[in-house]
Amino acid sequence: MIKLESVNKYFYKDDPREVHALRDINLIVQEGEFTLFNGPSGCGKTTLLNAIGALDSIDSGKIYLDETEITSLDEQARTELRLTKMGFVFQSYNLVPVLSVEENIGFIMKLRGFSDKEISQRVLEIASVLEIDSKLKLMPNELSGGQQQRVAVARAVAAKPKIILADEPTANLDSNNSQILIDMMRELNKKEGMSILFASHDELIMNSARRVIELNDGVLVDDNKR
Amino acid sequence: MYKLILKMAWKNTFTRPARTLLVIIMIAVSMSMMLAIQGLYDGMVKSMIEKNKRSASGDISIYAKDYRLEKDIKYSIKDAAKIKEDIQKLDGVKAVVLRVMADGLLSTARKSSFASIHGIDLKEEERFGSFSEFLKEGKISFKKRGSVIGIELAKTLKVRIGSKLIFSTQDSSGEINSIALKVRGIIQTTNIVLDSNAIFMDITSLHKFLGTPPRDATQIAIMGENQKLLHILKSNYQNLDVKSFLELQPMIKQMQEMMVIFNSITFLIVMSVVFIGIFGVVYVSILDRIREFGIVLGIGMQYKYIRAQIFLESVIVGVFGYVGGALLGLILLIYLRDYGLDLSSFSDALEMWGYEAVIKGTIKVSYFTTTFGAIISASVLSVLIPIRKIKKLNPIEVIRAEK
Repeated sequence: MIKLESVNKYFYKDDPREVHALRDINLIVQEGEFTLFNGPSGCGKTTLLNAIGALDSIDSGKIYLDETEITSLDEQARTELRLTKMGFVFQSYNLVPVLSVEENIGFIMKLRGFSDKEISQRVLEIASVLEIDSKLKLMPNELSGGQQQRVAVARAVAAKPKIILADEPTANLDSNNSQILIDMMRELNKKEGMSILFASHDELIMNSARRVIELNDGVLVDDNKR
Repeated sequence: MYKLILKMAWKNTFTRPARTLLVIIMIAVSMSMMLAIQGLYDGMVKSMIEKNKRSASGDISIYAKDYRLEKDIKYSIKDAAKIKEDIQKLDGVKAVVLRVMADGLLSTARKSSFASIHGIDLKEEERFGSFSEFLKEGKISFKKRGSVIGIELAKTLKVRIGSKLIFSTQDSSGEINSIALKVRGIIQTTNIVLDSNAIFMDITSLHKFLGTPPRDATQIAIMGENQKLLHILKSNYQNLDVKSFLELQPMIKQMQEMMVIFNSITFLIVMSVVFIGIFGVVYVSILDRIREFGIVLGIGMQYKYIRAQIFLESVIVGVFGYVGGALLGLILLIYLRDYGLDLSSFSDALEMWGYEAVIKGTIKVSYFTTTFGAIISASVLSVLIPIRKIKKLNPIEVIRAEK
């Protein structure tokens, strides 16, 4: 469970350019939710996602992951938390260019110390779900954008984290590939039971999400559960 | 995990092969040049020391007390032949020779010069230091008042093979005496003192000429370099002046120290080249991949793995450079050892300073081990700044920057 209490975040604090990016956000996300942070550009959805993902700090308030208050953790503990509890999918795939698809998918598992056998079994399993099992020996630059994003999703979910944070995962994909990716992530959400949080204004994701949280100017304006 | 890190480091090193290859070549070439210079420096000094030992002092020389202050035959070593026999029985002694030396005037019909006459036993000198190898012209023979003269002295007196000379000096009774000699050979030892001042003749004939006892000598030269032997001789012959080669040749000791300084400077320059080369390639490579590092930090990769990866990338470049440099350097050193560097155009100047015109290099394992250590150190040090850049990297800034 993720719990946010009165979260505030500023950019350029105490500067004429100051932006109040998140304003007093209170929110609870239950395990296994398929949630979308929606809103226009600059509304704070990515900032909120980064704060939940322990990537970015906040200026006031508290964020809990289960019983752990993550905002007070030091950098090393935050890195450890990101490694063990979270999976990230970025807009630009960000695969390790010198590693094969198979190695990229197993990368987080390797960092977490899984055995080679466990890694290869899980990589094969997740690659089958995402229909990239025939591409395992290829290098990232030999794949299309859609395939690369599927590899990025596979990498994020392979180690079975509690939460997947996906920031504009479909922004670089055409609608067909976007729909395929969303369907696959829904399938993983059902099958693996992990919470998936999107920051996006993609209509396709909005139609698929079971919960849509609307943000505007850093304020949580609507929370729509379906 | 480290296997994967090594794989990533390896692949990243050769992602831009031309750039990496250029740095490897730069390291290899500069290192091989350094090895060659080091070999030549050492070769120059080694050859100088060796020739000095063979032609003059040996590893250890024994004189009568005061002889080195006032080179007079009255300060000869009494019954040097007995001392020689005793020394030959000691452990570590390879060869021992007796020499008699007297200063005087060497004249031709037209010219004269100050000179030192050296009475030597050719057979023993051959065993001691292959005396015949110094021959430049004519032959080594003392028959029929034959003598062998240093090349510079021959030039000064304008003598050739077959020229007649008169050597005048004070004999043991204090009388001025002269001896007629014929030049049979001209030698070049690259020992400046001998080449410009010395004339050699048979030791027995010189004893007769000087009127000194045949078992006496002004110098006992010993081949057999070890500190233990020197210690024994110093303790056994406390009434004599026992000196090691370096005690007798402080200039060469200074020269050795100078060469160490030259080598260190060369070493420092080459290591700076290695440092700058690796620093450049690693720093640019890190700047190229700053987003990648930010992302992997973001998804939970610990900093220690990134640090290890960068260190490995640098060490891979360093090791390749080292291997290339060691091979190239070895080839150069073997060539220099076997054929030498021919500087005949500068032979006059070089020989004047006691160096040969063809400088031959030496090869020591220590060149390669020290360089390996230095290159690995330079590789590791060169990535400290790039690593600091990664340490300061905030993943969120990279993630924000990509949007």
